[in-house]
Amino acid sequence: MTRHLPAILFLLPLVLAICLPLIGLKHREWCRPLAITTLVGMVLVSVANLAGILQTGTIHYAFGGWAAPVGIEWVADGLAGVLTVALSLVGLVCVIFLSSVLFPYLGSRIVPFYTLVLLLIASLTGMVFAGDLFNLFVFLEVSALCAYALVGLAGGKALFAGFRYLILGTFGASLYLLGVGYLYAETGTLNMADLALRVPPLVGSKAIAVGVLFMFIGLGIKMALVPLHGWLPDAYAYAPDRVSPMLASLVTKVALYGWIRIMFWVLGAHAVVYQIPVLFLVGFLGAVAALIGAFLALSQENIKRMFAYGGLSHIGLVLVGISLGNQTGFAGGVFYLLNDAVMQAGLFFWAGAIIHLYGVRNIEDLTRLHGAPGWMSVALVVIALSMIGIPPTGGFFGKWYIILGAVEAQNYLAIAAVLIATLLTLAYFLKLFERVFRERSADQPPLIREVPLAVRVSLGATSVAVIVLGLMSDHIVSFLLKNAVPPGL
Amino acid sequence: MKRMHDSLIVQTMSQLLIPLAQLFALYVLFFGQYGPGGGFVAGVIWTTSMILTFLVFGLKSPQGRFVEKMLHGDGLGLIVFVGVGGLCLIGGGEFLNYAHLDIPGVDAPARRYIGILLAQIGVAIDVAVTGISIVLSLAYHDTEQEYDV
Repeated sequence: MTRHLPAILFLLPLVLAICLPLIGLKHREWCRPLAITTLVGMVLVSVANLAGILQTGTIHYAFGGWAAPVGIEWVADGLAGVLTVALSLVGLVCVIFLSSVLFPYLGSRIVPFYTLVLLLIASLTGMVFAGDLFNLFVFLEVSALCAYALVGLAGGKALFAGFRYLILGTFGASLYLLGVGYLYAETGTLNMADLALRVPPLVGSKAIAVGVLFMFIGLGIKMALVPLHGWLPDAYAYAPDRVSPMLASLVTKVALYGWIRIMFWVLGAHAVVYQIPVLFLVGFLGAVAALIGAFLALSQENIKRMFAYGGLSHIGLVLVGISLGNQTGFAGGVFYLLNDAVMQAGLFFWAGAIIHLYGVRNIEDLTRLHGAPGWMSVALVVIALSMIGIPPTGGFFGKWYIILGAVEAQNYLAIAAVLIATLLTLAYFLKLFERVFRERSADQPPLIREVPLAVRVSLGATSVAVIVLGLMSDHIVSFLLKNAVPPGL
Repeated sequence: MKRMHDSLIVQTMSQLLIPLAQLFALYVLFFGQYGPGGGFVAGVIWTTSMILTFLVFGLKSPQGRFVEKMLHGDGLGLIVFVGVGGLCLIGGGEFLNYAHLDIPGVDAPARRYIGILLAQIGVAIDVAVTGISIVLSLAYHDTEQEYDV
């Protein structure tokens, strides 16, 4: 039974997504409980899957019984197991949030909406497990198509932002596919494990170099690496407030995971550390992204845009971590990736909640929050502490391990980049806090609103999660070091 | 074309062509087991027949209404596909491993035949519905609208 768990984990949201249009013909109100139940099921299955992986080792799932490299294979190893647990948990909290009564009633559009959300989660699961480059592309596209539709759901400006996302995303996907074509032409296989055997002798080949470059640029657009990030701020700012957390916390992170897979499992840790200068490039771009993202966040007035730019900077930090070429840096990077998913979700929960409760979209309006319950500000402060990197939150330990890895690699520029990004993050959150905690002017009566349960649960869960991640960081990182680092690193 | 095409020649010819295209789609679907073709191509050919239907007879005609009704089958194709795969999973094999499709009195090659055919039918339905919905939304749906979400 254990060996089927990866497929079951994927099928759960997929089956519900395709049954919803038929269920929704009669019972529209079932969408919400069914979606939440499915996500709870996914959490349980993903935990069981991780336990199975720890017990029996990596699970290779051959679809249709055709063994790799001929057939389509899914690989559930330690890293994929951890990622899917995080994905299901964050996905569950995001689905609870987006089904809140806080948001306008969707009417008949509730059915396609939940279908898209569940398809998005299913395809991200598929990306995490995909064992060959082409299936990674397929799931990348499925997830992107769902994301475009979700961004453009509101019509008007969101449609424009979604269309730009579509054009750039499709361009990225095409580049990725072109790169896969180069690798296929050179090696004759698409399976990652098979490629890992055939690529090392060809590592000097120009075709491989060009192919990898195309794949990196393609995935770079998808993960919004800084010079290629043009689509992201508008897409996240104009996306419906109920879906921004899910997009911000999951979509770019899984594209980044795809790149980690290709870099360390296809090219091989040995090649990227000793033979080709790809790590230097990734680290450099990561550092640039970390700094520019934080700088741009500092100059934003719109709260959602500010958080979106903050997310860009954190993608850069993860890349700095994994580019250090040692186990500590890699585990730190992956740990930071998990933290970032939680933090981004939490920040966009907060932004979505204040937009709909108090009508606050820009930083200057934040003074209207005086009637807001104190715990909402506490949640913001906790998540912000983690974004900045102050103990005992998860963000601090993520940066800590990245810096430890940088010391080990004697890469002092990386340390400088992480520290400067930290200071800039502190700066833009101070800008936010300055407004949130400013003395109330006498003529402004406090707005007191009932905060819906779903918002309490989701915002509370994320802010508790960043502290738990911080307190458990030692266990999680040693777990990652033991089970999830690429072979040969 | 929201109303019926006014040329009798066009109407009569399409009455002849539409069933022919659909028959050919079915042929491609079933022949896909032995030669080129299969669910995807069959679905596309079926779509062309449906597009011709509402171009010539309009969406308000009985034929056009049938096309609109088909849009509800969006999930149906995938349910067939995933259902076949799921039955294999229940039968003890991997997802889509048709040899584990538990049909009593049928040997493994025949099981594979049935399994592939069913999966292809699922693919064909889905491709057909997707094609129609693309054409319909490009042709008729208003995009200027803003929604409250």
